[in-house]
Amino acid sequence: MMTPRAPMLEIRGLHARVGEKEILKGIDLLVRPGEVHAIMGPNGSGKSTLSQVLAGRETFEVTKGQVLYEGKDLLALAPEDRAAEGIFLAFQYPVEIPGVGNMHFLRTALNAVKRKHGQEELDAMDFLSLIKEKMKLVEMDQAFMNRPVNEGFSGGEKKRNEILQMAVLDPKLAILDETDSGLDIDALRIVASGVNALRHSDRAMLVITHYQRLLEYIIPDFVHVIAGGRIVKSGDRALAKELEKTGYAWVEGARA
Amino acid sequence: MNAFLDAVRRSGGIAFQRMGGLPTTRQEAWRWTNVAPIGRIPFELPRPVEAPVDLSELDLGPTRAVFIDGRWSPFLSELSLLPAGVRVRSLAEVEPAVLEELLGRVAKAEEHPFTALNASHLAEGAVLEVDDGVEATSPIELVFISRAGVPASTHPRVLVRLGAGAKAQVAEIYAAVAGGPYFTNAVTEVSLGEGATLEHARLQLEGPGGYHVASLWAAQAKASTLRSHVFSLGAQLARSEVSARFDGEGGRCELHGLYVGQGHQHLDHRTMLDHKSPGCVSREVYKGILDGKSRGVFTGAVHVREGAQKTDAAQSNKALLLSEDASAEATPQLQIFADDVKCAHGAAVGQLDDQALFYLRSRGIPLAQARALLTRAFAEEVVRRVPVQTWQQRVEAVLSRKLGGETSSTAEAGEKTS
Repeated sequence: MMTPRAPMLEIRGLHARVGEKEILKGIDLLVRPGEVHAIMGPNGSGKSTLSQVLAGRETFEVTKGQVLYEGKDLLALAPEDRAAEGIFLAFQYPVEIPGVGNMHFLRTALNAVKRKHGQEELDAMDFLSLIKEKMKLVEMDQAFMNRPVNEGFSGGEKKRNEILQMAVLDPKLAILDETDSGLDIDALRIVASGVNALRHSDRAMLVITHYQRLLEYIIPDFVHVIAGGRIVKSGDRALAKELEKTGYAWVEGARA
Repeated sequence: MNAFLDAVRRSGGIAFQRMGGLPTTRQEAWRWTNVAPIGRIPFELPRPVEAPVDLSELDLGPTRAVFIDGRWSPFLSELSLLPAGVRVRSLAEVEPAVLEELLGRVAKAEEHPFTALNASHLAEGAVLEVDDGVEATSPIELVFISRAGVPASTHPRVLVRLGAGAKAQVAEIYAAVAGGPYFTNAVTEVSLGEGATLEHARLQLEGPGGYHVASLWAAQAKASTLRSHVFSLGAQLARSEVSARFDGEGGRCELHGLYVGQGHQHLDHRTMLDHKSPGCVSREVYKGILDGKSRGVFTGAVHVREGAQKTDAAQSNKALLLSEDASAEATPQLQIFADDVKCAHGAAVGQLDDQALFYLRSRGIPLAQARALLTRAFAEEVVRRVPVQTWQQRVEAVLSRKLGGETSSTAEAGEKTS
């Protein structure tokens, strides 16, 4: 038996609220490099809040608990610093940014991260060859790069654009927030194969989803069920299958 | 001296007195803008200066008429590339018949105190004529430089006439080579023949001590098109007016504006569209970016007269406040006296989108850079409509200085050429 690798992400008793409403009520989770964790749960269970809190969205206030990322206090970092440290959130609802070209946006992001690490920035030509390579992963046309960020993109195009960004920024911890929502089966396949191509022994993933469907394409190592702001059950892939059959009704019972 | 000009000056002076001199904030049209400081400064007419002027920073185009402290500079002007049928001349040198035909025809001294003031000081300016069916292929720049050695005022007048089917691109560029205070009071009169198309840009890049009042008055014949691009970037106090009148059917008028205020800048804009003929289209997009303690004002008047059926008018004004002390006023004024018309207007004052900021930051873009990126994107809608690339770049350069960041379009242009 190999000794387990040091945890990449350690969440301890995390509580968070928006306004007066407490949403996360004590999340505990441990993620090691190379692992893919699925987080499943009914609507309003706190899945998306967890992903937003990890990425640093200031709308949510952490009231209790701790998040360690590579042994450091993640919650003390600004969103851009978390990104520079290797955290990436694929948004459930990618934001449209009129007036900012997709290519310009992505190069600005990559170079901001590189600058922070004292690395040489990519010029337009080098970036173009990089992006051409990465676009193949999600079967994206170069025409997307000259359009404003997500503006007028279909649901599937937006999600593919998220995975493209992930491929370019090459994160250590990728959080996919309901990446399957609103996708037809073809788009789901493309997105999932893009994600699978990015699976790596040094990269961990949190795959947040309502449905088991996505997990037929992205096979998780662990499955957690979240309800009422807490993880109520953890297991392996079989747990996802079980949920598919039984639904979330029992989970609602387990909260009590 | 020209007897006609003397008469214009005299009646301008009388009109200014009759209106009670400079307007006050008690007058509706000047409610948000106090021009009293202009009256308190003892502005003199500038004295001629011999010292050379360095304009390299302005990166002027190959076809230009340059005025230094209101005086035409043959040395700095360059007009040899103008095609046949296109004339750019000094107002002081144009034959009286042309002046009588164009001067005071659209801009009425008795209707506007600053137009009256301009008329009463009338001495210099530019006259651009494009003959019927002629296309002025290269963009024309009219450049007004204030040296502001003494508190000086200039009152340039620009007269533009496009014949039937003629086309031209004209930019008026206002800048200073010294601090100030100084006062520019410009009046532009535009007359468009049937089917003519004019792209007009006003790049207001005045120095920090400048007071700038400028108005453009256009009369559009049947099926003519005016596209106006106003950039209010400099001056401590600026008032820009654009007024267009449809004299014939099927005309089109697009008014675009961008104002970017910082510190204590006060930037006021007024547009007036007179839909007096049926079947004309007007489009207006004015945007403001206000930081520090600056204030932006936009008043958009649309007048659809009786009988102007099938009028299609749309107006939009959006202001972005970057600080808590900045403020914006927006006043649409729609008067509609025809029933079969489309008139839309929208005004919004807001801050940078929180979600978009988070999205950018979550990709590693630092807060200040994310703010600059979104702010430049907000301006982009207006900037990208400027038809001449060098004018666009000049605006972009000022925006980079004032707001930081760069835009996708300039970055991509760089990508294409590298």
